[in-house]
Amino acid sequence: MTEFLLTLAILAGINVLLACGFNLILGYGGLVSVAQPVFYAIGAYSSALISMKLGVPVPLAMILGALIAAIASIGLSLPSLRVSGDYLVIASMGFQLGIVHIINNVEITGAASGLSGIVSAVESPSRSMIYAVILMCICAVTIFAIRWLVTGPYGRAITAMRNDEDVFASLGRDAVRIKVTLFAVGSGLAGLAGGLYAHYFLFLTPDQYGIFSSATLLTMVVVGGAATVRGPVLGAIFLTVLPEAIRFLDLPIAVMAPLQGALFTGLVILFLFVKPEGLFGGKAGGGLDAWQGRDTGGSGRKGVK
Amino acid sequence: MLSARGLTKHFGGVVVADALDIDLMPGEIVALIGPNGAGKTTLFNMLTGFVRPDAGTILFAGERVESLASHQRARLGLARTWQRPRLFESLSLVDNLMIADRDYPGERLLEMVSRPWHVRDSEIKGRERAEQLLARVGLATRADGRSTRLSYGQQKLVGLARALMNDGRCILLDEPMAGVEGRTVETMKEVVRDEAAAGKAVCIVEHNIGFIRDICDRAIFMFNGKIVAEGSVGDLLADKRLTALYFGSHQ
Ligand SMILES: Nc1ncnc2c1ncn2[C@@H]1O[C@H](COP(=O)(O)OP(=O)(O)OP(=O)(O)O)[C@@H](O)[C@H]1O
Ligand SMILES: [Mg+2]
Repeated sequence: MTEFLLTLAILAGINVLLACGFNLILGYGGLVSVAQPVFYAIGAYSSALISMKLGVPVPLAMILGALIAAIASIGLSLPSLRVSGDYLVIASMGFQLGIVHIINNVEITGAASGLSGIVSAVESPSRSMIYAVILMCICAVTIFAIRWLVTGPYGRAITAMRNDEDVFASLGRDAVRIKVTLFAVGSGLAGLAGGLYAHYFLFLTPDQYGIFSSATLLTMVVVGGAATVRGPVLGAIFLTVLPEAIRFLDLPIAVMAPLQGALFTGLVILFLFVKPEGLFGGKAGGGLDAWQGRDTGGSGRKGVK
Repeated sequence: MLSARGLTKHFGGVVVADALDIDLMPGEIVALIGPNGAGKTTLFNMLTGFVRPDAGTILFAGERVESLASHQRARLGLARTWQRPRLFESLSLVDNLMIADRDYPGERLLEMVSRPWHVRDSEIKGRERAEQLLARVGLATRADGRSTRLSYGQQKLVGLARALMNDGRCILLDEPMAGVEGRTVETMKEVVRDEAAAGKAVCIVEHNIGFIRDICDRAIFMFNGKIVAEGSVGDLLADKRLTALYFGSHQ
């Protein structure tokens, strides 16, 4: 039972990193992308393979995995954002399908049957305990780093960009640069989460990184409260624990699977329309509605007056 | 300082800019006048990079800028305001101005991490300058408040102060007086005059004739996307033909 709880805590920690990263992209950057799970995958496979094939120590492999995910994200975001923000949605879908397809068909990743034999990060009888503590620390550092990022000089720029992007540009500020940066940091966090997953669960399959995973992450961010620091943290914990709690109801699988699906979809729709600031968001400049177009006092996208 | 040649723009078959030539000189205040829909704002948008012209060239501070993005032109020292104040509503007034510092290191994450002391330094200087400019438009006491608590005219003043943070060579003002009344009028005039006296090229789109007469050195009259007259403010205002064009489409 403690083993189960520790594993749940580790999963929650990984989801916190994923959701915080996605929140930087979606909430603060205003970038709609479905590719977050792919950077999770890139981090997981890179870190696993680097440590397996090259004998690189696990912590270093994890950092490299995160860096590879961040760099790969620039390859997606920079060309897309040069065209337009809307283009990124489509490009990210293609990117997700493409990468998952590659993982499914390449020998080195173990293809569809999955990658096993991954080096464990911690070798100890109380492995789960140690890992859970390490994850808590990484989450704490991440949350403080994000807090620092979105307040102060950089946060001022992000807020101004969210309020009125044209005016922001007219003052000499480069919105594309900020968006690409946020996208890279958010994707790097996903990559780190991937490495942390790989070296604990020691087994990866490509079907973990599909569109369902994108939807789950979106739910965590939106339900918790996009563009707030604590929102996605609480959203991720809530939505990691909730499905497990439902499992305790001991329903037949034929009922449970659709129930969980409906739950997630329902939550997203409910929150997008009824409570866009999220459960834990409050109203301190957060929420998706701070973006122009939804902002009643804003300028609207068209017509530069 | 700023000179554009042959700026042309069609919006769905309608010509809103027809081979426009415009020159702005340091220290000079130029009025851009004309009836609603003449294409004045569109001209500003082309100069600042928000509307891509179909044809034409723009020379600014010795550089060809027509293919540069808006933010790049601003960083060369081309500032502008908007017809509506368009302040950042989630930010305090002083933050609205600080973000407009021409070289704002806080937008570059690598620099934030690698040169924190430099960023802190420019934050302190930026705040100081922002507070000075807010004092200049008479809003020093509101520096830490939000824009939503200000009157429309006060918001316009903050918009002007924000553009002045750029401290560049040229500033384009789109209807600075629209919605401005009372004491604000004089403040606006003084600030614009000071900018020109400091050697900046100023161009003002304005419907307020009194304001134009008081502070502008030269005027350009636009109608249906064309420049139809150019000269001293007095001459243009005395021209019966222009008055007819102006009020003819105003009805
Ligand atoms: N983005 C756009 N798409 C299509 N038409 C536009 C666009 N922007 C402006 N126009 C049209 O171009 C013409 C000129 O508009 P503009 O805003 O430049 O006029 P203006 O001289 O600034 O008028 P006002 O004094 O009312 O501000 C108008 O007929 C307007 O409807
Ligand atoms: Mg106009």
